[in-house]
Formats: sequence, C-alpha cells, structure tokens
Amino acid sequence: MNTNEPGNHDQALRKLLEAWRADAPLPPRFQDAVWRRIERAQTPAAPPVWNAIANWIGTMLPRPALAASYVAILLAIGATAGWTQARQESTRVKGELGERYIRALDPYQAPSAMIR
Amino acid sequence: MKKGMLILALGLALAAAAYGCVYFFGTSSARNLEQTNEPELAWLKEEFHLSDSEFKRVSELHAAYLPQCAEMCRQVEAQNQRLKELLAATNQMTSEIESAIAESAQLRGECQRNMLRHFYEVSRTMPPEEGRRYLAWVRERTFLPGEGMMRAK
Repeated sequence: MNTNEPGNHDQALRKLLEAWRADAPLPPRFQDAVWRRIERAQTPAAPPVWNAIANWIGTMLPRPALAASYVAILLAIGATAGWTQARQESTRVKGELGERYIRALDPYQAPSAMIR
Repeated sequence: MKKGMLILALGLALAAAAYGCVYFFGTSSARNLEQTNEPELAWLKEEFHLSDSEFKRVSELHAAYLPQCAEMCRQVEAQNQRLKELLAATNQMTSEIESAIAESAQLRGECQRNMLRHFYEVSRTMPPEEGRRYLAWVRERTFLPGEGMMRAK
C-alpha cells in the first residue's frame, strides 16, 4: 500500500483530525464574540458626518450660485445680529443716561439718599 | 475641497465683518452721547429733539438748579441721618421721632416743589409737544411713588 497516493494521504489526515482533541478551554462568551465580529464585518461602515460635510464643502459649495447664496445669507445673519445687538446696547445706554438725568435732579434718587 | 474651504472661511469672515460694522455704526449715537461733557444733557437734547438755542437754555436752567439740588441733597442726607439715629436709640414712638418724620415730610414736599418748578421751566423751553412728553416722563419717574415698584414686579 502506497501511503503517498492522494487518497491515502486524505484518509490519514482525516484519521489524525478525528483523533485530535482540544483540551484548552474556550474563553468566556467565545461564541457571542465571534458572532459579533462577524456581524461587524458584514455591516457597511457608515461615513462619518464630517465626511459628508467635507464632501459637500468640496463639491457643492464651490458652485457659483450656492457660494453666492451662502455668502449672502451669512452677510445677512451677521448684519441682523449686529443691528439687534446695537439696538439693545443703544437702548440700554440711553435708558441709563435718562436715569442719570433724573438722579442729578431728584435728591431722593441721588445715590447718597438712604430713606426715600 | 480647498476652494470650498476658502468660500466657507470667506462667508464666516464677511458675517463677522458685517456684524462689527453694523454694531459700530448702530451704537455710534449712544457712544457720542457718552463722550460729551454732560452726557445726560446731551441725551436730553437728542431724546426731546431740542434745537441748539433750546438746549442752551435748558443747560442754563440745569446749571442754575444744580446748586439748589445739592443743598437739598445735603439737607435730606442730614435729616435721614438724624432719623436713623433717633430710630436706633429707642423701641417706641417718641415726640422727637414724630417731629423728625414731620420734618422729613416737609423737606420732601419742598424738594418736590423745587423739582416741579424746574421741570415746568424746562418743559416751557421745549417745543410744546416735546414739553408735554418731557413732563409726562419726569412725572413718571419722580412724582408717582410706587410706580417704580410696580414696574419692578
């Protein structure tokens, strides 16, 4: 009998494998971990939000119409915010000056008057 | 990508610049008022739309009234101090406290009369409509006790 023939070789290997016993214990929750790794490998990686934004900035924003709209909107937002803040500040300063005028004329509203 | 980032940065820079410019010009009037020698009078001129001659007259009246006001302030302060000491010295009503309270009320009345005279004079210097508005404004802040507390609520 020639053990070098392919059929004989397979048989010998099969016998060897059948005789093999693994004595080392598996780590805890080994099967779960394996399934999790398989699931993770099968799920397509979602592109991060930043990638989408960067992609948009790189491809869409340079379009003239979009770029002009973007700049115009930001200009309007900046100007509106500035105008709102300026109005609030002016109102505050003018209100304060009015109170100062009254305090200058009314001894009972002067800072030193303790009993009104 | 580079061009897109450039546009992004340009938009943000323009927004910041627009904010700064509008804020700067929007507050210039208030800033100018604060930088004058007498900001409260400058405010009065702007608020009640006074001409230069009206403003000059109002400033003169104001300057003439201030020494009277300072004297009243001194008296009010002294009276307050006296009342405070009397109240701290006892735990019952005394004739001295009663007379101090009456003097305080009298002082307050005198103070209000002086103020009102001044307000009328100032209002007469202004154009009629502005004068009425001025009187309503000062009345609300000086002659309607409790209004401030109502507003605070």
